[in-house]
Parts: sequence; structure tokens; C-alpha cells
Amino acid sequence: MKFSLEWIGEFLGGLPSADRARALLDQGGLPVESVEETARGPVLDVEITPNRPDAMSHLGLARELSALMPTPLAPPGPDFAIPAASGDPIESLASVVIAVPRLCRRFGALLLRGVADAPAPERVRARLAAIGSHSISAPVDATNYALWAVGQPLHAFDFEKLRGGVVVVRRARRGETLVTLDGVERRLEASDVVVADAERAVSLAGIMGGLDTAVTKDTRHVLLEAAWWDPVAIRRTARRLGMHTDASHRFERGADIAAIPNALNLAANLILASAGGALCPGLLDARGLPFKNRRAALRLSRLRLVAGDPSLTLEVAADVLARLGFEPEVRGRRISVRVPLRRHDVRIEDDLVEEVLRVHGYDRLPSRVPPSLAPGRHLEPRRIVEDSLSDGAAAAGLYETVGYPFVDRETSERAYAPWLEAAGMGRSIRVANPLDETRRELRTTLLPGLLDALSANARHGRPDAALFEVGRAFGRADGDPENPPSLESRRFAFALAGNVRSHWSAPGPTRAYDFFDAKGTVEKVVEPWIAAEDLCWRPAEMEAFARGAAAWVETSVGVLGVVGLVSRSERERRSLPENVFAGELLIERIPSRPRMARFAPYSTFPSVEVDLSFAHPRALAWEEIAAFVRERALTDLESVRVADRYEGKNVPGDQTKTTVRLTFRSPDRTLTSDVVNREKDGLAAALRDRFGVTF
Amino acid sequence: MDDERRSGAPDDPIASVLETFREAVEAGVSSRGEFERLKGRFLGREKGLVPALFSGVKDIPPAERGGFGARANAVKREIVEAIGRLSDDVARREAMSRERAAAVDVTLPGRRPRTGALHPLTIVRRRVEEIFLRMGYSIADGPEIENDFHNFEALNFPPEHPARDTQDTFFLQMPPEAEAGRREANPESDLEDRAPRSPLLLRTHTSPVQIREMRQRGAPLRMIMPGRVYRKDEVDATHSPVFHQVEALVVDKGISLADLKGTVETFLSELFGAGTKARFIPTFFPFVEPGADVHMTCIFCRGAGCRKCKGSGWIEIMGAGCVHPNVLVRAGIDPETYTGFAFGGGIDRIALLLYGFPDLRLLFEGDERFLGQYAGRLLGDPA
Repeated sequence: MKFSLEWIGEFLGGLPSADRARALLDQGGLPVESVEETARGPVLDVEITPNRPDAMSHLGLARELSALMPTPLAPPGPDFAIPAASGDPIESLASVVIAVPRLCRRFGALLLRGVADAPAPERVRARLAAIGSHSISAPVDATNYALWAVGQPLHAFDFEKLRGGVVVVRRARRGETLVTLDGVERRLEASDVVVADAERAVSLAGIMGGLDTAVTKDTRHVLLEAAWWDPVAIRRTARRLGMHTDASHRFERGADIAAIPNALNLAANLILASAGGALCPGLLDARGLPFKNRRAALRLSRLRLVAGDPSLTLEVAADVLARLGFEPEVRGRRISVRVPLRRHDVRIEDDLVEEVLRVHGYDRLPSRVPPSLAPGRHLEPRRIVEDSLSDGAAAAGLYETVGYPFVDRETSERAYAPWLEAAGMGRSIRVANPLDETRRELRTTLLPGLLDALSANARHGRPDAALFEVGRAFGRADGDPENPPSLESRRFAFALAGNVRSHWSAPGPTRAYDFFDAKGTVEKVVEPWIAAEDLCWRPAEMEAFARGAAAWVETSVGVLGVVGLVSRSERERRSLPENVFAGELLIERIPSRPRMARFAPYSTFPSVEVDLSFAHPRALAWEEIAAFVRERALTDLESVRVADRYEGKNVPGDQTKTTVRLTFRSPDRTLTSDVVNREKDGLAAALRDRFGVTF
Repeated sequence: MDDERRSGAPDDPIASVLETFREAVEAGVSSRGEFERLKGRFLGREKGLVPALFSGVKDIPPAERGGFGARANAVKREIVEAIGRLSDDVARREAMSRERAAAVDVTLPGRRPRTGALHPLTIVRRRVEEIFLRMGYSIADGPEIENDFHNFEALNFPPEHPARDTQDTFFLQMPPEAEAGRREANPESDLEDRAPRSPLLLRTHTSPVQIREMRQRGAPLRMIMPGRVYRKDEVDATHSPVFHQVEALVVDKGISLADLKGTVETFLSELFGAGTKARFIPTFFPFVEPGADVHMTCIFCRGAGCRKCKGSGWIEIMGAGCVHPNVLVRAGIDPETYTGFAFGGGIDRIALLLYGFPDLRLLFEGDERFLGQYAGRLLGDPA
């Protein structure tokens, strides 16, 4: 908000320089964003928080500076004098009825008759121009000027257009309409408060006047309104109608009920000074429910405790509170105050602490570090899991990304339905007020976002990319109770595109990523929590993945994740290269107890390796062969690994040839090839009998 | 005497062999092959000149045989030793030339183990966590889908309060059948009852974690709450609807603004480097009283004044304050016994300041050219 330093000076005993004003207002919590030099002197752009509507005027800032400098306020100038009046008293011409006394606590009005069409006085127009406000006419400028001078919004009616000479403050009737000053027809609701005449609404209370009763150049009699409106009621209506005005901004935050007569006198004086006319004797001053000044107390002990400064005294505190208009009385070790009506923000003892400290200066308080007692730790064990997954993925060559959670479920997530079902997120959650109407839902999976990021990398000339994200997905299971235990799920997702990165020493095309890179990534990242042999892999099928190249990964507690070759349709709509592998894990299903490292003794004798090659139908999974070999419990067998898979020459079309590498090692002797070959031959025979493999 | 012998007895075969040998060595051997040839010429069992000397003994008069034999043996020893040395030389030279042939261009790029990288936001978050862990703070975590109670009401944002406008909120829509059950909540019912029924939203700050932790653990406590938050801001260089915060909360007996000041100063100089100063400007947040905006020494000009800090030498970095007594009460903590402070700021903004990238949007684009720049390096200490 912009304020002219010269105008502020009208209310101050002594005017500080712009730099000094800036420093003081910063200290007081009304930081000055910038200072602009204008023809009327420096103009300050002040940031005023929503709790300080009392400071949103030149008088308001003058009060603050008066306390901060300190210097006394100047006595009110002639513009604030009660104007001379003549003719019929206002009561004989107009009346005010408040039908909603809780929502309108006070409604003041003055009536000026025989006003001519004229511009506002030069000094008024100049001051308004300095803060960027345009002049319109004497009555309109006068109300605007009063708002910026003392913070009280006013409205000027063309009195002759108010039917029945009566002003009624009431709730709008259902279906009632009002064309506001901006020319927009507003449909009103019963929760809106209006100012009405005998027949119809003529102003949207506290927000904007009606077009029909606005002052024009033909207006002869002006009724000036200054009222106090309930912040919540004003805010509801303004928000519903999408309106925000200088008036609503102040009323929503709480205006100063005591400022009403001053503001009316100021505006009337300014109109009379340039547009002539005569003021009718008397102020119409209708009251709703009364306000009482709040009382509050500040204990010296509390002040010292919150400040952390045992050197603060009651005298310092009482002095500051007096300068701010709180009328302090020192009673023993405490100060009792009367909170000015304009200070809606001061309610409790600690609010007084802040008042004292901000004027005293936060800079003057001591500074210390509370002693450390016990070491800190992670209170949420899954956060440790998340960090370890990230470390594992980064070590494995993947880059971490962060994605936005807003999606259009229909286009981006439908292909993952079986996975989302397994993850307990069959249904998504909608955003009621999305930024982008085409992305109304919260993501239930991180995978589409990762694929989009791969696609962006490909567009920028990096078709070979490896990314991961640790983040949350949101949703609920189908047929869940109304308050499910959790609406969000922690995820780890990754995607590998194109080729493994190459080095100059191995020229030529490098190896393309394959399923086993993706599977190995999963095995690697979960290693601190789940042993690879405790992961169970079985084929998965869904639109998002290529048929026959995707898998569920499961643990003893159920589905942990899904991994696979991204399907053609998912790739093509993102222009991704042919081999893109992706996977996602449910972090909640990873045990948050890490696997503990323990020493396992090992043999010092040499090992003997033998290979066994055989052909078998492709449908026979490696896992079955390996399990069978382990079950046989061959003497001194240390490990069984797959050494090679071959399909082609000399292998029938529906078969594959597997080479198994058996490593034997005894804990207490050097093995001979006789012993090892006997075991190998026995196994070969058993494999033939069990699976019909051929050698 | 040697000279005399050589000149006086030009036909002396021993001297002649030695002479020939010396000349051959003088001429040098440039390869293993030449060396082998030289060795064969003198020591070869069949045709070697040295063995020939010994086989010529029989032609020597018996009286001279003794002297001849002794001299021949001496010469043989000398030649054998010299050949041994020569062999070592040749081997050394061979090794050298092998190495020379295998010399690497040490300026070619190394084969670095191929690793990826943590996101700059993760690196900064972990750095912040590490600083606080060292100061005895625990790390708490909470849901990103919150309800109005935890996100606003318990933090002293009354319903319909303009302070809510400063945090544009994404509200969530539950399916109608679930929503119906929630709406029947009685606004007069007490907080415990109302919390689970209050409207759902994406949390606009990490402060609701304060409420959850205080309600669950009570006082005293000392923790930080890093996490992702959401505000309905259009995306531009300095705004994002998704961003990250970290805030600290301490509740204990006798905690004051002075503790807040010292802790903030310590944290900022740990993160941004020694010499980073903080100043505290009073401000309003509903959940603290007194409240403050924390400004720190501008990291671009170290306080001298520049375009980035609009010439002031200070930049805004965090919000802070003493925990509002209403918040303590709603969290079930007696504000007469316990006081507390809280402060927090944006991790994204801290990352932007520390790394000096120009646009927040880069954080969310997943571009490897951006993501690969930060791993394996320390956070910049501009001091």
C-alpha cells in the first residue's frame, strides 16, 4: 500500500526523513518495500499484514511513527472540525434503521444539500495522485481521501434517488439483485448484507455501492455513509462474488468504529470547500450491538519470560503502551491496559508483549541457544527407508526428480489400473479448485510423471536417461470406509530409457537397458531392508507394460511393486525410444526394520566350479530350476547361478538352453574333481527325471 | 704392462679375445637379439671365442700352460661378468621401451564409476536435517493431505479470517457418499470430535505437523518438520504450486524470543556460512506471538547492498515467532508452564540461494542437465 510521507506528516508533531521512517516502520513490523520520490515528496510502499487494518491509513502510520520515534501526534487540523450547518436538521429529512445489529454495529450519515458539480480541492487531488489514486468528482474524491486519511471507508449516495428518505440496513432477500458501481448485476443471497432504501437494495454493504443511487454530475444532495461492518459477513459476500475493494479490504480485517464521525466530518468539509452546498445540522448515528473496549493485563514476569530478557522493566513497557494509546496503569508487578477499539488484533497478554517488544526493538533483545539435551532422531522410520532408497538409486546411476501431483486420471493413469488396485488406490481424489481444469485429480502413481520427464529429456537430446522419484501418491481403495486410515501412500518410482551410458574406451553402440537392469535396480535399492531372495517375481499384465515383460514383485506381506517394459502406447504418446523400463514400489510395505549385518564364517579351502548345460521348455522358469537344485542339498554346494541362456542354433524353437554354474567348496578340505563330478552327474540325472531336460 | 703385452705380443690369443670383446661391447647392443648373438660369439659352447681359448691349451707348450690357463680364466670371468651386466642393461632397456609403448594419454577422460544424483532439494533438506540433528532436534513427518483443523483452525486461523488469503489453498473433493458423512459434523462439537470431520485440503505449510506432534507427544519437545506443501499459485520463476518447507519447533520451560534469535542465527551461519547475520522484523502469523520475519545478510553482496536485495543488504529468508498460547492450548499444552518458538522457510528458496539457479521451475522439470550438477559437491559456503 502506498502512503505519502508529507500526508503522514499532517498528523505528526515532527516529520522523520524517508530513510528514518523506513527504518522505524521496519522495526515496528510495517516493512517498507520501496520508497518512490514524487512531486509531492517520498511515497512509501508499505506491507501491512492482515492483522493491522488500523495502520492502513496515513493517520494509522502516523500513530505508529509517533510511538516508534517517539514524538507526539499533531492536534487534528481544520479539515476535521465539525462543519458549520444550516437548514432543516437531518433527522427531519432522513432516517436509518439497522435490522442486523450484530453485523452493523454503527451507521453514521451526514446530508449535504445543494452541492454543485465541481472537482475536489487541489491539495486533495494532489495527495490522491501521489499515492496513485485518480480524481473523479468532489464527493467521490472526498470519500476516497477520507479512507486514505483515517482508514474509514465511506460511501456517497445521491440522496434524491433514495426512495422514501429512509436507509435500511438488512440482509438481502433471496433472489434480490443489485447493479453495483462497476455495472455488474449481482445476484444476492440471504447471507449478504445490504443498505436499502424503502424499496430496494442500494448498496452492497462494505463492498461497493449501487450504480442507480451513485452520485453523478447532476447530483444536488449527497448522503454520506460511514459504517462498521462485521468482517466475516463482508468477507463471505466479497469472496462469493469475487469482489475485492479498498473498502472490503478494511472491513474484512476490522475497521475502527470510533473513526466514523471524524471521517464524515473530513469528507463533508472537503465537499463543502469545493462544491459548495450546505450541511444539514446533525449526525445520524444509528447503533447496532455496542462494542466495549477490551481490557488486558501484562505481567512483568511474562514479558521477561517471553522476551528472554530479565532487564526489561515495567517502566519501559508502560511507556511503550502509553505511546500506542493503551492507557496503561501500573498495578504492582503488572500493567493493566484499555485496548483501543481500532486494535482488533490485541486480545491476550502475549499480544501486549509483542506490542512492547516491537516498539522497544527486537534488535535490542539478547540472543542465546537453548542447551542441547538428547541427540535427535528420525521420528518417522519410513523417512529413513525413503532416504536409503534414494541413496541406493543414486548410487546405481539414477537421477532424482520431483514431479507435480496434479493429473488427469483418465488419460494418464488408466493404463495402470491393476497396479493401482493392488496398491489400494483404485479411486482417486479430486481437487475442488484446481489450477488447471485439465488436471483435476491427484496422482495415484508416480510413473506417468516420470515417463513425462524422460520424454522431456529425450526432446532435449538425452534419449538415454535414468530417473527416480520418492514422493507420495494419493487416493483410496474401492469401497473403502468413509474415513480410510490414510489417503496417501509413499512411493519409490524409477524409469530407465535407451542405453546404458557409454565411455570412449568402448566405442560403438552400447548395451540397451533390459528387464534385468530394472529388476536389479529394485533388488539393489531394497537391499538394506529386504534380501533379494525374499523378493518373489511373477509375470504381470496391464496396458502400461509390454505383454510378457512386466512383473509383480512381492514379499511375504503381498505386492510390493510392479516393474516392466513400458508398453508401446505409453511410449508412443510421449515419443520415447523403444526400450524404456519402469517400476514403482510401495514404501509402506517395506519393513522399516533394517537387515542387520552379521559376520558369517567362510571356508579357506579352494572352490571347484562346474557347469551344467541343458535344454528345456521356455515355460520352465529359472526360479523352479534353482529351487529344485537347492532342495537337492548337494554336498558342499556353495552356490548355484545361471551362467548363460542361449536360444538359436541346435536348440528347438520352443526351448531354451540354460547353463548352470555350480560352485562347490568344503569347509574342511580341498575337494577333488571326482567328488564334484559325482554330485554334478547326480544332479543332471535328477533334472532329467524331474523336468525332462536334455543335455 | 698390459700395453707392452698387447704390443709386445700381438699374437696373444687371450689379449685378442679380450680386445675383440671390448670392441664389441663398445659398439653396443641395441636389442635382445644382438645381445644373444654377442653372447654366443664369445661364450657359445660350440664356436665361442672363450671356449676356443681353452681348447687351444693343448697347443701351448706345457711350461706356459699354467700361466696361460690363469690368464684365460681371468679373462673369461671378466667377460662373463660383463655379459651379465649387459644382460641386465638390455632387460632394463626392454622394459623401458615396453612401458614407453604402453604409455597412456593421461589427459583422456577417466572411467568414473557411473552414479546418478540426489535432487538438489534432497541435498539441501539433508544438510538442514544434519545441522538440526547435531543441535539435538528430532525429525518429524506428517501427511500432505490435511484437514482444515490441523492446517488452519488449530493454528489459530479462525474460519473466514483474511489471514487464510495469504495461503491459497487446494481443497479436496471426496466422493459424494463420503462427503455426506463428513458434512454432518456439528460445528459446536469440541475439537477432538471436529478434527476428523473438518474439510480436507493439501497442506499449505508444514505447521500442521507441529499440532500433530504436540498433541501426540506433549512437552517438552524439539524437532524439525521438513516436507512438501501446496499452494494455489500459478507457476512462474519464483512460484510453484508445489514447494518444500522446513520448520523448527521447540517447546520447553523458559523458552523465549532470545532462544529463537540465537537458534536462527546459529542455523543460518551453519547453512550459509560464518558471518551470516540475522535480523528480526515484527510481523503477523496467526500461530505465533510475538512473530517475526527473519532477514539475513544478502548472500549475493554479503550485506553491501545489490540489486538482489534492493540495496538493503538483507534478504528475507524465514518466518518465526514464539508459539501462540492458543496453539499450545489446542495442542493440550499449558502455556503458563511451557513456552516455545517456531521458525521455518522454503527449502526451494534456500536451494535457489545456495546454488544460484535462476528459476524455481527447473526443480520440477526432471532435466538431467539440471539434476546432474549438484551431486558430489559440497553446498556452497559463499563466505
